[in-house]
Amino acid sequence: MALNKKERKNTELKVALAGNPNSGKTTMFNELTGSRQHVGNWPGVTVEKKTGRAFYQDYSLEVIDLPGTYSLGAYSEDEVVARDFLTAGDYDVVLNIINSANLDRNLYFTVQLLEMGVDLIAVLNMADEAEKKGIKIDKSKLSQLLGTPVVETVASRGRGIDNLLAQTVQNRDLSEASLKIDYGSEVEDLISEVVEMLKQYDFSRQINQRWAAVKLIEHDPEAVKLLEREVGASKAKKIKSLIAERELKAEDDFDNVIIDKKYEFINKVIEESVKRPAADEEPENISDKIDAVVTNKYLGIPIFMAVMWAIFKFTFTLGDPLIGYIETFFGMAGGWIGTQLLAIGVSPLISSFITDGIIGGVGSVLVFIPNIFLLFLAIGVLEDSGYMSRAAYVMDKVMSKLGLHGKSFIPMIVGFGCNVPGVMATRTLDSKRDRIISILINPLMSCSARLPVYVVFAGALFSSHASTVVFSLYLMGIVMAVIMAGIFNKILFKGERSHFVMELPPYRFPTLKGVIIHMWEKVGAFLKKAGTIIFSVVVLIWVLANLPLGVEYASAESLIGQFGQLVSPIFAPLGFGSWQAASSLVFGILAKEVVVGTLGVVYAAGEGGLRTALLANFTPLAAYSFLTMVLLYTPCIATLGAIKSETQSWKWTLITASYLFVLAWITAFVIYQGGLLLGFGV
Amino acid sequence: MPLAMLRQGETACIKEIVGGRNARGKLTDMGFVSGKTVKIHRSSGGPLIVGLGDNRIALGRGMAHKVIVDNKGCEN
Repeated sequence: MALNKKERKNTELKVALAGNPNSGKTTMFNELTGSRQHVGNWPGVTVEKKTGRAFYQDYSLEVIDLPGTYSLGAYSEDEVVARDFLTAGDYDVVLNIINSANLDRNLYFTVQLLEMGVDLIAVLNMADEAEKKGIKIDKSKLSQLLGTPVVETVASRGRGIDNLLAQTVQNRDLSEASLKIDYGSEVEDLISEVVEMLKQYDFSRQINQRWAAVKLIEHDPEAVKLLEREVGASKAKKIKSLIAERELKAEDDFDNVIIDKKYEFINKVIEESVKRPAADEEPENISDKIDAVVTNKYLGIPIFMAVMWAIFKFTFTLGDPLIGYIETFFGMAGGWIGTQLLAIGVSPLISSFITDGIIGGVGSVLVFIPNIFLLFLAIGVLEDSGYMSRAAYVMDKVMSKLGLHGKSFIPMIVGFGCNVPGVMATRTLDSKRDRIISILINPLMSCSARLPVYVVFAGALFSSHASTVVFSLYLMGIVMAVIMAGIFNKILFKGERSHFVMELPPYRFPTLKGVIIHMWEKVGAFLKKAGTIIFSVVVLIWVLANLPLGVEYASAESLIGQFGQLVSPIFAPLGFGSWQAASSLVFGILAKEVVVGTLGVVYAAGEGGLRTALLANFTPLAAYSFLTMVLLYTPCIATLGAIKSETQSWKWTLITASYLFVLAWITAFVIYQGGLLLGFGV
Repeated sequence: MPLAMLRQGETACIKEIVGGRNARGKLTDMGFVSGKTVKIHRSSGGPLIVGLGDNRIALGRGMAHKVIVDNKGCEN
């Protein structure tokens, strides 16, 4: 498989991590690369390959973390990412991360890789868990039976990592020999015949031909496609009809035979190399006891709601005082810098640029770092602990009424952090229909970028009920998502049902390192966003607020004022017809935090503070209507970009952008006009 | 009998996996293969939670009908 390797220096290696979900792959990746990861990937369910760098002696290793996959069958998009990488073959060694406590299923993937001829090191990870269960693995025997090096590690405690790196460097040129499993005379005869034909047809030499033959006999759709591409439809047909003809004569389907033989081989390997305690029945473990409560028919959903509420409380109660400090800091810094600039004779225009533009705009967004930090911490813990899949299980009841299944709920939770990874996380769903519906409703999950808008408004106008108001918005998002999923299910696709199979990994304590890396990634991404897109938009708005030349800063006559007045009639029936509100919403499509940034600039809120300005310009009802709009309307361009690239379709992207705007407008209208009728308009 | 028909707490032996290529492939990937013992950890209307060795797997009812088991258990 080393045939597709690109030339690299002697001291440079390209290493891929592959393995089942929940085998500790990402923990291993963090352990190997530490903070030397290429930021730009989204945390959470790994759905895209992720690169980082590790160093060992004089060697520099490029490490690639592939999405977890159970086999090379590739039933969903994230698995396709992993398989495409593995079959393309541009790497030196694959580190196949194996959960030692769960050897038989993990080896199913290992065996597939070995048959393909992949140069791999079998990494027996979570060795401590296996020990605890009394499982003893004879490494040298296992290595001999599989014909590949075996290394033991505990990634979560950093055990065995040095040895793994040493082995990786030593084994960069493993033998080209691949594992051969005896599939029984009937299938074996057919394999040799197909291999002969492949040779005769000059089928790609970069692929192990025996493996290709086995895949063809299994009717693997990708293998069939590859064959047709390589040798042409007519020759491919000859091979296919040979297989079909033999299968007709055989007792059992060949793919069943092949699967059975693979497991037979694995069982034999395990029998010879693994000793486990006699007890066949596993006693109820702690995870089962927790599950008995958490997945209970009646308690499941209330517990899930309580968890969400707790996350939410945690984010706010801990974040709020910190926000106060940062706010005071920016307020003071703005005032001080302003006076200093004037004192040294800087023109008022430049002084205004720095205080109103940069500090008033970017500062008003940066204030929310603590909230965003804490929110991602909480989501990280939710994922790493194993509760995420339980939430999905529990929510299956609700989701199945919408024609989706529980697994579709995971991208929704990820969406609370950011809709971009939320949209990407839909890759784990295997039916196209489930994916499209999940993508369409994902922006309704209130992402962390909308949080600053809620917090600043709620703090200014709903002081004592601030957290209730914000929580109600999160709930509204979920309710709307549920309603819209139901509607899309009715009108878009009928009949298609998908398979629900999902592993419930044992509960684990999240590792400090994992959680910190996860948070650092997110806060880093937020700072980057503040420094680039938010900064640029704020500068643009400041410029527009100062043009045409000589106009009073941020007045109705400035360009932004005129622009805002042009669009504001659309929002007037919703209670916020001011040009400031209108322009902030329009620019908010660039990034939702910009809503706050824009308001910071246009209300010239450097010193007086944005809260004071909001208090003077919004009634509580109008503010709630505005927040509803911010929650529901057109997603930011980054999310729209993700939708475009995931659906490969402008149609779905435009549908998402427009239906959300209409939904937001109608909901805000009902809330505002309804509120007025009920007398809340004061 | 299909796995979906077992009651909570019951164990059985997997006899065969039926159904289309995709469903079958996904099930065998997760370790549902003939000769393995499965235990129903939860069966209360929604998807099942089944134990397969140390693994716990949530399985939709439709999928659970594709796993044919023998409730007398596995030999040996």
